[in-house]
Amino acid sequence: MLLQLKNVSKWVQSGGQKISLLKDINFWVNEGDFISIMGPSGSGKSTLLNVIGMLDTFNEGEYTFLDQSVHKLREKHRSNLYKQYMGFVFQSYHLIDELTVKENLEMPLLYKKYNSSERKALVADILDQFNIVGKKDLFPTQLSGGQQQLVGIARALIASPKLILADEPTGNLNSKQGEEIMETFKELNKQGVTIIQVTHSEKNAQYGSRVINLLDGSIV
Amino acid sequence: MYTLYFKIAVRYLFKNKLYSFINILGLAIGVTSFILIMVYVNYERSFDRFRGSENVYRVYMDYLEGDQYVPGDAQSYNAIGPAFANEFPEVLDYVRFYRFGETVLQHNDKFFEVNNGNLADHSYFKVFDKRLIKGDINTALLQPNSIVLTETLAQKIFGDQDPIGKTITMFYTKPLVTTVTGVMKDIAENTHFKIKYLISFDTMKSWEGFPSQPRLNWNLNEYFTYLHIDPKTDIAVLQDKIINSNFESNSEERHNIEPIEDIHLYSNKPYEAEANGSIMRVKFLTAIAFIIIILSWLNYINLSTTKSMERSKEIGIRKVSGAQKRQLILQSLLESFILNLLAIGIAILIAVLIIPLYNSLTGHVLELDSAIVFRILPILGILLLGILIVGLYPAIILSNYSPSKALKGKIRASANGLNVRKGLIILQFLATIVLLVGTLVVNKQIRFMQDQPIGSDLNNIIAISGTLLENKTDSLLVDDMLTLQQEVNKLPFVKSATIAQTYPGGGFEGLSSFMGITRPDGVEEQHNVYYNYDVQPNFFEVMGIEFRAGNTFTSTSKSNDNKNIIVNENFIKKIEAKGAQEAIGKKVKFWDNEWTIIGVIKNYHHFGVKMPTVPIIFINGFDISNLLIKLDANSTSISGYNDIIADLKRTSKKTFSNSIFKTTFIDKEFQAQYQEDKKFGDVFNIFTLLAIIIAGLGLFGLTSYTCIQRRKEIGIRKVNGASVFKILKLLNIDFIKWIGLAFLLAIPIAWYSMNTWLENFAVRTTIGVWTYISAGFIALLITLLTVSWQSFKAATDNPVKALKDD
Repeated sequence: MLLQLKNVSKWVQSGGQKISLLKDINFWVNEGDFISIMGPSGSGKSTLLNVIGMLDTFNEGEYTFLDQSVHKLREKHRSNLYKQYMGFVFQSYHLIDELTVKENLEMPLLYKKYNSSERKALVADILDQFNIVGKKDLFPTQLSGGQQQLVGIARALIASPKLILADEPTGNLNSKQGEEIMETFKELNKQGVTIIQVTHSEKNAQYGSRVINLLDGSIV
Repeated sequence: MYTLYFKIAVRYLFKNKLYSFINILGLAIGVTSFILIMVYVNYERSFDRFRGSENVYRVYMDYLEGDQYVPGDAQSYNAIGPAFANEFPEVLDYVRFYRFGETVLQHNDKFFEVNNGNLADHSYFKVFDKRLIKGDINTALLQPNSIVLTETLAQKIFGDQDPIGKTITMFYTKPLVTTVTGVMKDIAENTHFKIKYLISFDTMKSWEGFPSQPRLNWNLNEYFTYLHIDPKTDIAVLQDKIINSNFESNSEERHNIEPIEDIHLYSNKPYEAEANGSIMRVKFLTAIAFIIIILSWLNYINLSTTKSMERSKEIGIRKVSGAQKRQLILQSLLESFILNLLAIGIAILIAVLIIPLYNSLTGHVLELDSAIVFRILPILGILLLGILIVGLYPAIILSNYSPSKALKGKIRASANGLNVRKGLIILQFLATIVLLVGTLVVNKQIRFMQDQPIGSDLNNIIAISGTLLENKTDSLLVDDMLTLQQEVNKLPFVKSATIAQTYPGGGFEGLSSFMGITRPDGVEEQHNVYYNYDVQPNFFEVMGIEFRAGNTFTSTSKSNDNKNIIVNENFIKKIEAKGAQEAIGKKVKFWDNEWTIIGVIKNYHHFGVKMPTVPIIFINGFDISNLLIKLDANSTSISGYNDIIADLKRTSKKTFSNSIFKTTFIDKEFQAQYQEDKKFGDVFNIFTLLAIIIAGLGLFGLTSYTCIQRRKEIGIRKVNGASVFKILKLLNIDFIKWIGLAFLLAIPIAWYSMNTWLENFAVRTTIGVWTYISAGFIALLITLLTVSWQSFKAATDNPVKALKDD
């Protein structure tokens, strides 16, 4: 088992009222899973994904990742954990506009103590794998949305994470581009990468092995 | 990793051109101003620094005025040097100078007008750490009639010839034949005691024309004396000994010493070698330099803080990719560093390029060499470090946000951050308003001084002063001068002419002074310094000086035995006479003679309105230093002055065929006394303008950013029916509030500092309420113009565009 959430709840205080974002979530992921989280707007999909990705905290419950109790860890250890094992893909790609494709890909490696030649090799590999060698010196704004998302996925993958977290990865793309992205995910999953995606689309959810439906912060 | 940081920083600068431009320009202007002012301050502080200068002190005189001693004379007696060296073992050596005014040097048939010549003791070279280029330093100033020239002067007189052993005739009074025994390097500009040539001190013993008393005496304080003091000496103790020494048994005066290094900035005594600088000006300018650079860095912090909010997405991505807080902060630091380094580089370049312009504008003679830059850089470095530390603030705030929030761009300025920014803007306004008040007050004061009634009409008066090279007795020279006066009077453009020792605005030079007088009531007093000069009866009419009581001299006889005097109101006050009218006919005693007061004139400012009026006595004597010529107002025009001066010179040559004459417009000379203040005013104006530009740039950047940030809000308000005016008001009201607050805070600071500055002047303008209000109004106007340009654009933008974006 890669990770497990037990009775996880999250809420915020707003105007003296407690607003629940996640209610009593129980959920586990095995290595090699491809899970789709679905649900209407405001049901807590992204919040759940952020909690899993340790980008956000929760108020109650337990979260175990590779046998470590995340809720007991300090922020620094938590960030070390996700740095090491997770890759993120976002709806709006979140590439750094001031950096070229190559530099965007290299960036996560800078924070992970790879030396220069290792970084070069890894970047070359991933450019090759995603067929974007020709684009390596372009800036994000010079790419189409689909291409940008491809770079986003490549960046998430570059340090060989155990888990990819994707928040509506095709949300800003047209259907053809979206399909290509989903095919990429499927291929990665086949190679053994664990994927959790948030999606609105039934069609995209079909690519996964398991679907989790959320409504008002609870799994239904 | 650093290369990547560097790349991001550089690309970011290029991408946000307006932001980078405003930021770098603001910083560059600030740093340039700082460099220029510091170069000036550095120059002013560099006066009289040479090897051993910390052990050199000048002897000056304190006079008892009322019941306390005040600095009375920068010069002292010729007996002081030897007496001190004899009496105090701490005094290792001394140098005395007898300083000439304008002199003429003659070699073969060529004449050279040269100022700043001196008689000097041969110890000069040792005490002032000077070398000779040519000649033997041990003997150069030993023998009488030896002359040592500075390099440029030697070059001018002798060209490429070897000057050693050649003769030069020096005209001051009676011609003095000297032999060149040495050539020394030119004396740098940054000394209070400029020297063109030196003649051995002992020359005075045999020089027939020596204008003072050659034997050692305690009567004539006409010598500059510098002491070389043992470095191990406790100066306070020695000073005490000197103050309490009593060589001349005269308790009305005493001797004192001051470090030579302090003279230029701190000393402003009567009979200085030249008009000195002012520590007050240096302090004010230093303050302005720091205000400007802090202003530009506040700007920078403000802009970059605001701007960094926009980069929350990037920070979020970095955090998700695993960046540590430390790394994020490091990157932000690196970016600040690059931007500031760029600005400093540009600033140094600008400073080098504009220093000639700056010099021509301000009359300074500044040079920017690498040594000065290296001296200024550490100051900049320390300031920059401080700024970077402050600049960490936004970086830390940003790196503290959880990545999910940062990614959504949800970082809005916290209340805290907003307060800091508000504070910075208010501080900027405050500095700007203080500078504005400063400029207004400085300019007002200068105008005030210029418009001040002097008590004398100096317009259209030319002073002719000659170096008389005729080989005639004094009394024959006086006759010739009277002839010249008659000749000049015949010229068509001359209204009247008079001969006088000096004239209003002539400074201490040419003015005599003494202490010790017996008042009409019989009281002998020794407390006050009285000034006197020789005039002809028509002097007052020519100079437009009004009489309070009595009238001018009646005698035109050339003899000096006529014992009538004319005095000014200040004199009347000093001798405690009841009033001007009552003083007429009263007798006072000085110089072992009894004098009758026959006229009292209104006070006029002899040393310019910066200095208070002094008691002056006019004697109907025959010092022929100046021929004062009042021109006919109708016959003078700008173009005509050259012809008039040529005419006057021609006429003078007829009577004095060998002499050299100098002409001065005495109103110009009088105005020259404010030159330093005017320069200060100009400098103040320039830097206030620059400060306003910097503040304006910051404001511009900030508003353009606020408008972008509030674009959606503006769109929604417009869709709901807000008018352009309402939107403008919404966007501008904050700035107006901030200016109001800054204005209130600025008033006491400006009031205090400008009153301190004004205390330097004998007559001062008032700082009225309107001065403050104008400053506040100007600040408000500039702000509204800067802000409205941007907010008007935002307010008139199509709201649909703004709303679609989100």
